[in-house]
Amino acid sequence: MTAAIWQYILGGVADGAIFALVAAGFVLIYQVTGIINFAQGEFVMIGGMTAATLAGAGVPLGAAALLAVLVAAAVGAAAYLLAIRPARAATGVTLIFITLGLDVALRGLALFVWGTNPLSLPAFSSGAAIRIFGGAIPPQTLWVLLTDAVVFTALTVFFRRTYAGTAVRAAVANPQIASTFGIPLRTFAFLSFVVAAAIGGLGGVVITPNLGGMQYDSGLTYGLAGFVAAVLGGLESLPGALLGGFLLGIVEHLAGGLLSTGWEQGIGFLILVLVLVARPQGLLGRRARRA
Amino acid sequence: MTATARATSLEVDGVTMRFGGVVAVDGVTFSARTGEVLGVMGPNGAGKTTLFNVISGVQPPTSGTVRLGDTVLTGKDVDDVAACGVTRTFQTPVMFWGLTVRESIEVALGARAAGGSYPPSPARGLIRDGLGLRSQRRAGAALAEQADALLAKAGFAHMGDRPTESLAFGEERLLEMARALAVDPTVLLLDEPLSGLNPDEIAEVLRLIRAARADGVAVLLVEHAVGELLAVADRVVVLDHGRKIAEGAPAAVAADPLVIDAYIGDELE
Repeated sequence: MTAAIWQYILGGVADGAIFALVAAGFVLIYQVTGIINFAQGEFVMIGGMTAATLAGAGVPLGAAALLAVLVAAAVGAAAYLLAIRPARAATGVTLIFITLGLDVALRGLALFVWGTNPLSLPAFSSGAAIRIFGGAIPPQTLWVLLTDAVVFTALTVFFRRTYAGTAVRAAVANPQIASTFGIPLRTFAFLSFVVAAAIGGLGGVVITPNLGGMQYDSGLTYGLAGFVAAVLGGLESLPGALLGGFLLGIVEHLAGGLLSTGWEQGIGFLILVLVLVARPQGLLGRRARRA
Repeated sequence: MTATARATSLEVDGVTMRFGGVVAVDGVTFSARTGEVLGVMGPNGAGKTTLFNVISGVQPPTSGTVRLGDTVLTGKDVDDVAACGVTRTFQTPVMFWGLTVRESIEVALGARAAGGSYPPSPARGLIRDGLGLRSQRRAGAALAEQADALLAKAGFAHMGDRPTESLAFGEERLLEMARALAVDPTVLLLDEPLSGLNPDEIAEVLRLIRAARADGVAVLLVEHAVGELLAVADRVVVLDHGRKIAEGAPAAVAADPLVIDAYIGDELE
């Protein structure tokens, strides 16, 4: 029994790592623009599908991964320039609907480009499953965890240790005042979409070998899970996104294993409702911003 | 930048701002030279803040133009207007919560210094930060040093590490001034910078205004404390119901019957 529980937890860690990456994308865009980008999960799909396509065509894995991240970033840039920026005077609710439309559009585009067949990608390193206590994880999961470590460290260093990061934090604290210093909010908004898309794409690249296959509609699951993880963490907090991601992954796997597989998809939303009732600002969010 | 390098002036030409049937600013024309303090007076609702909003790009005017030297500012966004050298403060000081006092100044300093160009390029900053962490760290240390020097000048020595959330109202006002001056603006719009301050803090803000003038900044000052405004201003423009009713030297304007009438005499000694 204990071994089984360990296995659920390890499975949850593997999924949680990718949820955390998607959640980081949600947090990044929300912090900078105030927009909840429901198309965030599609960048995971685009990253995974592009890398699988390129690797399948004989491109070396490293180059395929890099190109896939660049493609995801380019799609993020195009999404901002074509869908978000023209509507920048719109209200928050309108912008959320635009991102929902973007989500459907990107999935449709993926169906058009790749069809309905799942694509797979070889694992980055070979070797047997790694045994931890009673459970085991595939070596690829270490790559996913490494990606989390690199991405979250890089984002933290950027926000805390660089001028551009401080400027973004100032713009987040008060866009109106920041703009009176010449801080270009639109450029920051653009870059937040590009970086969030690249992070999602990278997540897609590293997670695909762990899946049976990535397919055109896989992004929806990641988008929803990433959204739940981001809100759990407080929507404005990168450590919150990390915590929310792992928490969600582990709880999903435990619920799926110990209760029934039906619970796996639903339990996240149940927790989300409970957290929002008990602690509306999320686990690591601040209570409310002073206006 | 020296005063001569900024030998340029802010021209407000026939600016009108309508909100539906209300004319908040009505065909106002004046200019402000660098190295002078131009007081903008008027009773409540005279259109002073609206005028600042038009100049700083917060609201486009219904008609009229605002120019800085040869550059037309009308129609530009706030950040573009700021990039041209026009910055402002607001009636209620607004802090960057989550940042320390020093970081607040660094943001303003960096906006001026980013990549040695104006307007700053965050993309360039990103590349530089990402690819040259060591030079970034050096530049960061220089920025912090510069920020500390500015903070000391503004009476904020040893307060650099304090979170901006912890400041008292008067300290917020002073930090707001220091932050605006750190951008090294050509034109600085101050919207009631003295309100809510104690006499010591008022003296400190007036000192900073005079220092900015000496540095060649064109300071536009909206202030209800008429005595202080007349004392610090080189020239004064008076608005009433959106129209300019007087312009000139402080003493002459204070004696103008139209102005006294607009204030019903009670605010002018």
